[in-house]
Amino acid sequence: MSTIDTAPHRPGPRAWAALVAAEGKMVVRDTAGLIIPLGLPLLILVMNGMGVFGEASVGGVSVFELYVMPLVLTIVIATVGVVNMPSFLAYYRRTHVLRRLAVTPAHPGMILTAQVVVSLVQSLVGVALAVTAAMLFFDVGVPDRLGAALAVFGLAALTMYALGLLVAAVAPTGNAAVAIGLTLFFALGATGGMFGPTDNLPAPLAAVGESLPFGAAVQAMGRAWADMDQNPAHLVAMGAAILVSTAVAVRFFRWE
Amino acid sequence: MDAIEVRGLHKRYGDTVAVEDVSLSVEAGEIYGVLGRNGAGKSTTVEAVAGLQRPDRGEVRVFGLDPRRDRNRLRQVLGVQLQDAALHAALTVRELVRLYRSFYRDGADPEELIEHVGLTGQRRTRFEHLSGGQQQRLNIALALVGDPRAVVLDELTTGLDPEARRHMWATVEGLRDRGVTVVLVSHHMEEVERLCDRVALIERGRVAAVDTPEGLVARAGLEQVVRFRTAAPFDPAVLDRVEEVRSVRTVGDQVVATGSGNLLHAVSTALVKADVVALDTRFERATLEDAFLSLTGSPFDDASGSER
Repeated sequence: MSTIDTAPHRPGPRAWAALVAAEGKMVVRDTAGLIIPLGLPLLILVMNGMGVFGEASVGGVSVFELYVMPLVLTIVIATVGVVNMPSFLAYYRRTHVLRRLAVTPAHPGMILTAQVVVSLVQSLVGVALAVTAAMLFFDVGVPDRLGAALAVFGLAALTMYALGLLVAAVAPTGNAAVAIGLTLFFALGATGGMFGPTDNLPAPLAAVGESLPFGAAVQAMGRAWADMDQNPAHLVAMGAAILVSTAVAVRFFRWE
Repeated sequence: MDAIEVRGLHKRYGDTVAVEDVSLSVEAGEIYGVLGRNGAGKSTTVEAVAGLQRPDRGEVRVFGLDPRRDRNRLRQVLGVQLQDAALHAALTVRELVRLYRSFYRDGADPEELIEHVGLTGQRRTRFEHLSGGQQQRLNIALALVGDPRAVVLDELTTGLDPEARRHMWATVEGLRDRGVTVVLVSHHMEEVERLCDRVALIERGRVAAVDTPEGLVARAGLEQVVRFRTAAPFDPAVLDRVEEVRSVRTVGDQVVATGSGNLLHAVSTALVKADVVALDTRFERATLEDAFLSLTGSPFDDASGSER
């Protein structure tokens, strides 16, 4: 039996960078896939903006800052995390891209990381677009508690990626991943204020929606923007969603 | 010296036994063919070698490494070309070769490799826009990009046109010249006959025979045939005392002699001795395909059973 002297070798930083670049090109070249994360938030911003601009404030706080901006940012991270990422992963699984990578030194875990990095960049571009437009056209200011807003945004983004990994893990096919992702997105969105203030919902439903990831993210970001103290329940809700989703995703994830 | 060793491999999917009991030992530097019909267990066997399948029983060693436990070391030295594997669809040939090259510590120069598999003209073409044969060539390039010491090629030339196929064969022969061990899963008899140093016939999840391609043909004990015409009427008695000849028939002006051993030479010698002028001499011997049929007892193209 001949043996080899090869030391274990794991792909280095260049390989990680190459994989991130590859995933980035996949996303950028899938032009249709960019419309939703980048275009939809702008649309919602403009529609809501024209509705509430200049008139509404609650106790001296602009509705735009308390409600519209957090909603738009949450939509960005939720579409990227819950809808786009799992559909890419399911597509890779169906076409055996992951299987091909599994026989190279690239640990398939690198793919997940690259996906999250690329998703994060997409989210940041979407957010930058939305915030710039809001500042230019609707007179929205920087969040009153900038640090808190950034921290809450980061937590909310992680929550959405964790949900996305969960969808990718349990969906049997690429189509199912898109269907489950969209259903989850609209269910969370509807109970979390995407189609109008949660005050319009029946009280129990509004309460549930507020403790689900989408609603919790909107509420927590709104509070940071409008100089209000955080409600621990929102943060706990997002933390719990991250832990549960990640645990289930890791347990059920399949490379092929 | 064995580069790849499989001992007592057994693998089932649910109620279906894919591999009953397969043992192979592949020597370093040889081209080892794995031949069998669809569903015989070829792909499952090589996937166990590649570390994609966990054996239910049995042991796999590649250069002494366990494909699953020693994954990180094995991946640097074993290149794999899988059946039906896809790549990032929107990336170009050059981007993919560079991406895969980045995974390995040592490896080929991407531009040279692209030229070597004949894709220079397509290096800016996205994977999704390549033809089937071009995708296949790219897959082979990616199996070689890490300068592996052993490669597993599953259905190397399926989907290639004859010219590209011959080019691939030359590439595989070049691997042998560099001392690379090759495991070649194939359906293509001519390919196996031309390339392989030894061949394992897999039948219903078991190894039916292991031998050189010529050895398999000989082992099947199939007859050879010499056909010729003669200008003058032929007396079959001329071949009576030739040991290699088993039967002689005349059909019109054509003579058909069957037998074994060095039949063509023996018949020619006897004809010359008897001053018989033979015209249009044709020699037919069993091919690997005939041997396959004889050794496994059923037609090769009878694709009963599902893939793997």
